[in-house]
Amino acid sequence: RLPRFYPTEDKPRKLKNYQKSFSQHKRRLRASITPGTVLILLAGRHKGKRVVFLRQLNSGLLLVTGPYHLNGCPLRRINQKYVIATKTKLDIKGVKVPDRVNDEYFRRQKLRKPKHTEGDIFNTKKEVYSVSDERKEDQTAVDRQVLDVIRKLPEKKLLFGYLGALFSLSNNQFPHKMVF
Amino acid sequence: AVVSTQSGHYGRDIRLGDYAGKLCVIVDLVDQKHLLVDGPTTGVPRTVVRINQVSITDIKIDIPRGCKSKKVRVESEKAEVTSKFQNSGLFKKAEAKRSKAAMDDFGRFKARVAKVSRNRKIRSTVRKLKKSS
Repeated sequence: RLPRFYPTEDKPRKLKNYQKSFSQHKRRLRASITPGTVLILLAGRHKGKRVVFLRQLNSGLLLVTGPYHLNGCPLRRINQKYVIATKTKLDIKGVKVPDRVNDEYFRRQKLRKPKHTEGDIFNTKKEVYSVSDERKEDQTAVDRQVLDVIRKLPEKKLLFGYLGALFSLSNNQFPHKMVF
Repeated sequence: AVVSTQSGHYGRDIRLGDYAGKLCVIVDLVDQKHLLVDGPTTGVPRTVVRINQVSITDIKIDIPRGCKSKKVRVESEKAEVTSKFQNSGLFKKAEAKRSKAAMDDFGRFKARVAKVSRNRKIRSTVRKLKKSS
C-alpha cells in the first residue's frame, strides 16, 4: 500500500534547541552584591572570613580579595551562592584590577604526579602547589589600592579589625532574622 | 487594669497587629476584653481592638466617651500626645529594640568591640581597687 502523504522535505526539520552551553549562560548577580561590598564567605578554606568583592568574572564567579594582609584570603574566585553580602560597601571605583586576572588565570593547574619508574619511587619529588610570582604581584597591586580606599575612611581602624575578624553565630542569633 | 466608668481616656500603644508600635486613644469600651480606639494623628483607623493587643501609657487626654475622630484629633494635637509619648520610657525601649534588630554586620562588630573594651577597662580598675584595698 502506498503512503497517503509524501513530505516535501527530505529530512524532518529539527525543533529549535534552546539549550545553551555554559559559556553562553546569562550571568546573574544578586542586587545586594556590588563592587566594593564586604562579603562573608560561608564555605571553603576561607569560611567565616569577611572579604571585599571586586567584580564578577565572565564565568559568573565573584572575584574577591581579603585583602591578603588582613585575613589571609588572596585574590580568589567564589560562587555567590556561598556568600552573604553585608551592607558595608567600599568605594572601589578607582581600583584597577590587572586585565590578566580572569577565569583562565585561576584555572587549576595539573601537578605532575611522580610515576613509578624503576627504583625511583622515593627519589622523585611530588609537585606541590606554590604561589606564582605573577599572583603575588597582582595581589600586592590590588591590595594596595583597596587598603588605600579603607585608609581614607574615618572608621578605618574598625574596618581593618572588621575585615580581619571571623564571622560566627552565637546563641539567639538567627540568620533569617538578622540584617547583614 | 482598665477602668470602666472614667470619662477621661488614656492614650495607648498598639503592640500587636497591623498597627504595631503606633499610638492611639481609647475612645470607648466595648466589653471586658475589647476597646474602641482611634488614632487620627498616627494613622490608626477607628477600630475595635482586644485589650491584650495594646499596652497602656500614662498619657491622658480630655475627651468625652465615644466622641468623633475629629475631636480626638483636635484634643490629641492640643495635648501634644506624640511628643509626650516620644519622651516616655516605653517608646525609648521600643526604639532601642528596633534599632538593635536593624543593626547590620559591621554595626554588630562595632558594638562588640565597644563592649569588650569597656568591660576590659572596668575589670582592670576593679582589680586595681581590690589590690589597693
